[in-house]
Amino acid sequence: MFETGPILRALMRNKVGAILIALQIAVTMTIIVNSIFIIMERKELMARESGMDEANSFYIRSSGFAKDFNNQVTVQEDLAMIRGLPGVVDAIQVNAIPISGGGWSMGLQTKPGDDQDGVGVAVYMVDEHGTNTFDVDVIAGQDFNASDIIWRDGDRNDWPDQILITKAMAEDLYPDEDYRNAVGKTVYINRNEPIIIKGIIDKLQAPWIGWNGLERVMLVPQLMDFSAYRYLVRTEPGQRDIIMPKVEEMLASSNKGRIVRELRSMQETRDRSYRRHSAMINILTTVMVILTIVTALGIVGLASFSVNRRKKQIGTRRALGATQGAILRYFMLENFMISTVGVMVGAALTVGLNMWLMQAFELSRIDWYLIPVGMVVLWLVGQIAVLGPAKRAAAIPPAIATRNV
Amino acid sequence: MLSMNNVKKIFRTDLVETHALNDFNLQVDEGEFVAVTGPSGSGKTTFLNIAGLLETFESGTYMLDGKDVSKLNDNQRSVLRNQKIGFIFQSFNLIPDLSLFDNVDVPLRYRGFNAAERKQRIEQSLEMVGLANRMKHLPSQLSGGQQQRVAIARALAGEPRFLLADEPTGNLDTKMAHSVMELLQEINQKGTTIVMVTHDATLAAQAARNIYVRDGRVSELHDVSAMPEAVNS
Ligand SMILES: Nc1ncnc2c1ncn2[C@@H]1O[C@H](COP(=O)(O)OP(=O)(O)OP(=O)(O)O)[C@@H](O)[C@H]1O
Ligand SMILES: [Mg+2]
Repeated sequence: MFETGPILRALMRNKVGAILIALQIAVTMTIIVNSIFIIMERKELMARESGMDEANSFYIRSSGFAKDFNNQVTVQEDLAMIRGLPGVVDAIQVNAIPISGGGWSMGLQTKPGDDQDGVGVAVYMVDEHGTNTFDVDVIAGQDFNASDIIWRDGDRNDWPDQILITKAMAEDLYPDEDYRNAVGKTVYINRNEPIIIKGIIDKLQAPWIGWNGLERVMLVPQLMDFSAYRYLVRTEPGQRDIIMPKVEEMLASSNKGRIVRELRSMQETRDRSYRRHSAMINILTTVMVILTIVTALGIVGLASFSVNRRKKQIGTRRALGATQGAILRYFMLENFMISTVGVMVGAALTVGLNMWLMQAFELSRIDWYLIPVGMVVLWLVGQIAVLGPAKRAAAIPPAIATRNV
Repeated sequence: MLSMNNVKKIFRTDLVETHALNDFNLQVDEGEFVAVTGPSGSGKTTFLNIAGLLETFESGTYMLDGKDVSKLNDNQRSVLRNQKIGFIFQSFNLIPDLSLFDNVDVPLRYRGFNAAERKQRIEQSLEMVGLANRMKHLPSQLSGGQQQRVAIARALAGEPRFLLADEPTGNLDTKMAHSVMELLQEINQKGTTIVMVTHDATLAAQAARNIYVRDGRVSELHDVSAMPEAVNS
């Protein structure tokens, strides 16, 4: 039923076209499989959650410039005003925004001293509304009270007595212990200044999406007596776009001694931060689609050419008893054999390219299952592409054998 | 074996209708060797194509081996061709990319024989045409006469009852033509029914029975010399 042997021997006598197509299939598979792997990795990165109520949060920047600008009063008035707006869940003054790309980091160590290793941590300065505005839960210990909050002077660099840290940070500080045990422990900032861990929050991300300590965050109970800072606002679901311009308007008109700018939703922040990733995904997807089309067209071209070249032969085969199905099978099988060589070489090239990418760009090792998936995909592309020419071959009438000599 | 009654074949193109066969009547019995002659365009190939189930026809009846073939579908016709009919073509129609062995193998694979049986039949039929020692060769490495012998081996490997040949010697010189003719006669003597179209009067004369086709109709001739038109070649 299957003419594998004769097809192979006939192919060996017309190698060039078949080899070129097999190579094209191999290269296409190599690029497709590696692209899919990279896309999957990027998608995984993009799927990481910041821990915030991103859909309903935004922030705005306030910069005081007037000589007589009173930071402390302004901040308290602003916050009271924003929190009083219907549709607002909560709001804080904050020094940095998660996943935005810019912020502060410090090192915490479990023992004092210059010779001790510290664990890097992102710093968010918040008041007792911090956890509610970030939409995070205190899962061990206590949240901040109003009485915990102190003003931080723009010139002085002193730290309060207590902090909240993320569960991930607790686990990095005390890798051998349950994170709950971190509550009440003393850690040291600036090498020697003690701070007590008041509570643990479930999850919040640092400002830097490319940082390997992305999940390590501490909340510090401080309001900033600075002239420039941001307000982070969390709204009721669906209210964000209504409240954003209102807050901007309110801040601008309530105090003429400052400018407000950088009104931005968390959604936009995420899009901006992950723009390179989504651009990469788009480029790779386009390349994959184009390559697949080009390869499919190459297969159609070679098959059409060989059908035309073999018209007489096909008619003769029909005269000798080939059914239309047998002719169809011949071309499908021939393509399958060429594709098989292609995907075998492709599998090796795929691993090779991945190994090179691992060295050159610190990519991880490809998931092995993508290789058989890629092989099947290219086999299918080949079979679908060759179907048209194969059907045309099957439709060649047997009388061709005796006509037009 | 073959019985055609009032078979009519019309080729339609945009401009013309060609009545290639008109009330074509012919009876060929089992074991006969029939030579078909006639002027160019008279319908010889058309007749052969219909006889060999390569083409369908408009009206009339055609019984092959007692079976009415006009109702068969394409698949059934293919199977019947494969089992009962062997073809020999003027230009040999060997598959250039395949060795002699693989060429003879083609109809046997469609027949569904197993590998051992195919091998035995291929060797046997190449032996019969005197080319058993060149099984691995490509068609291009053979002379025209040898190529036609391979084609004959291919046509006979499945042991068809009925052999159709359209000018099998048309592309051969006289010497080679005669040796092919001898081979066909040998085959006929073993019982295979042969219908052969030819332009060559001397070759036609070697067949037991001659028919003359003109304007898509048959006129039977028993005396070759009485042919109305000197056959060119
Ligand atoms: N596929 C076709 N389409 C249209 N007309 C055709 C077709 N095949 C054959 N004909 C016409 O049918 C008639 C009979 O052709 P056929 O090939 O049977 O003649 P022939 O006797 O074999 O001629 P020759 O000796 O030249 O081979 C011719 O007029 C031919 O032009
Ligand atoms: Mg003819």
